[in-house]
Amino acid sequence: MKYHLITLGCQMNLSDSERVAAVLEQMGYVRTENEEEATLLGMLACSVRQKPIDKVYNKIAQWNRAKDKRNLITFLSGCVLAADREKLLKQFDLIFQMSELAQLPDMIRNYGVVNAASLQAPKPVMPKNEHIADLWHIKPKYQSTHEAFVPIQNGCDKFCTFCAVPYTRGREVSRPSEDIIQEVRHLVIQGYKSITLLGQNVNSYGLDKNGQEITFAELLRRIGEYGQTSGEEFWVYFTSPHPQDMTREVIEVIAEYPCLAKQIHLPMQSGDEKVLIKMNRRHSMDKYRRIVADICELIPQATLFTDIIVGFTGEGESEFENTVAAFHEFNFNMAYIAMYSPRPGAASYRWQDEVSQDVKKGRLHKLSEAMKIYTRKYNESLVGKTVRLLVNGTDRKTGFSTGLTEGKITVRMDRKAPELMGKIVDVKITSAADFSMSGELVLQEETVNS
Amino acid sequence: MSIELQQEIKIDESFYKVKEIRQLTDETFSLRLPKSRFNYRAGQHISLGIRGDYQSREYSIYSGENDDHLEVLVKEVKKGYFTPKLSKLKPGDLVEVSGPFGKFRIDEKKIADHKFVFIASGTGIAPFRSMVRTYPQLDYQLIHGVRYGNEAYDRHEYEQERHILCTSGDKTGKVHGRLTTYLKKASFDNNTQFYLCGNSNMIFDALEILKDKGFERDQIHCEVYF
Repeated sequence: MKYHLITLGCQMNLSDSERVAAVLEQMGYVRTENEEEATLLGMLACSVRQKPIDKVYNKIAQWNRAKDKRNLITFLSGCVLAADREKLLKQFDLIFQMSELAQLPDMIRNYGVVNAASLQAPKPVMPKNEHIADLWHIKPKYQSTHEAFVPIQNGCDKFCTFCAVPYTRGREVSRPSEDIIQEVRHLVIQGYKSITLLGQNVNSYGLDKNGQEITFAELLRRIGEYGQTSGEEFWVYFTSPHPQDMTREVIEVIAEYPCLAKQIHLPMQSGDEKVLIKMNRRHSMDKYRRIVADICELIPQATLFTDIIVGFTGEGESEFENTVAAFHEFNFNMAYIAMYSPRPGAASYRWQDEVSQDVKKGRLHKLSEAMKIYTRKYNESLVGKTVRLLVNGTDRKTGFSTGLTEGKITVRMDRKAPELMGKIVDVKITSAADFSMSGELVLQEETVNS
Repeated sequence: MSIELQQEIKIDESFYKVKEIRQLTDETFSLRLPKSRFNYRAGQHISLGIRGDYQSREYSIYSGENDDHLEVLVKEVKKGYFTPKLSKLKPGDLVEVSGPFGKFRIDEKKIADHKFVFIASGTGIAPFRSMVRTYPQLDYQLIHGVRYGNEAYDRHEYEQERHILCTSGDKTGKVHGRLTTYLKKASFDNNTQFYLCGNSNMIFDALEILKDKGFERDQIHCEVYF
């Protein structure tokens, strides 16, 4: 019994896929990357853009053609809009929300059998997360031996006009803090070095529980305190926070505990006040500015990452120039810049996409150039210094090992060192490029002996 | 012998029966739903869906926190997808409600020593009616921009001296013209909290006017309708 699983989209889907894999493998299925030898074919969809949804439609058409030749069961989960779910119900054998993952074995065993469950009334349009805890109770099959994602929250209440997540994942629900801390402990004991707390709005953590759960700052503090006592070196990241709920306390806690990575990903989306309002981001540039000032004051060594959308409806030249100015003001270490594309299900899908593709490309290029000034400057500032590096890959061209600093900047090492994969080592930075650095391994007794 | 079987019919708790529809103008109406199990704060919004449809829309809550119903204000967009369907609802029909959401709320600590200016275009008045009904002690001014005077929804509920109706299409309002024209001339105390709700163009213009008058961005709270 073999299964093939395609995961589209963000880290949240990747994290969910680890739990899907665990459920299927407990049933006795074995994963295969060759879909032609699988009898169970699944996809975790992403509705953030049209392209991944097009891929779902193309792939299921292909799988249904394959049913002429062999017995197959197909399933779909992840982020799926209600309208797509209705259309795809006719094409996939099983469609379920991630909160129903625990029932997947029954769904597969009972597939094709008419029973009470299969005769239930249609589900509500708006996804509900009331059973999401069932998903979190499933122990994932981690895809890496040193980097792991830990979901802490699911859903979104923010209703940014460019995004459909509130309609695909439902409203914000926080995972019990004890479960989160236990999973982090388990990972650290297993030797994981990079742990990312995941959620659509991680720093809104706990707010849905009306005082019955700790805040995000307190959650970080408890993880930080565990880090102090564990005797292990590891880095805890989180993504994505929303500026609306970012507090100075969160930054103070990150500053206080060594295991809380000094890297902050703070999506800005636009540097223009009016565009932010049109995006329904619910934070002003003044608020964003205050958060960055707090980071610079309390964690001056932190790297700052952001997300940007260029060419959003209503973004004229002057509005775009405000975003360029923000790049020169905040000196981001990395910006994930996307050209705006209307996303079905999002409010802005109903508006005219008025900025041409060429203008969007030009703006993306201009922002990338602005970003490079500061990424290179930061990287050059590290030349000659020794940094801690988590070895996590291999350079395709040279075959030499690569890794990430605590601030998530890529470093290419001067040697092949597969034995160091998943370890944190000292590397002396020897040169800098726009988005990466090169460095030589600093041989220490423990490194030599490992 | 017969065995009586009692079939349990579980209605999902996010579905609400429409209790009442109040037609306020030819195009605008309010939907009243039972409040029983729904707790919200004035200024928040809900996501509203129609049973059997695959889309939902966000609406600010129009009722006060202590009202015995949950109410939203809807203006029908004739060529729109959703509001023509909402306009066809009848009492007893099922709608799906998710929420409440949002932080567009009054800071209760500021009520005693701050003034509140609510600036709304069209149905953007909804969260402000909720706030006024919830906090009778509020020292507020409501500046409402509409085209015609009949769009001053439930105007009798506001104290006359606090309600500045700006009508651009007729002369039935206190001010003839856009609300931004009034805003430019008006003066406000330094301890004022401004709340803006409505279409994005009104919010952009009002925001600029208030910033030009020297008010800090933190004093200005925005809720855009889309």
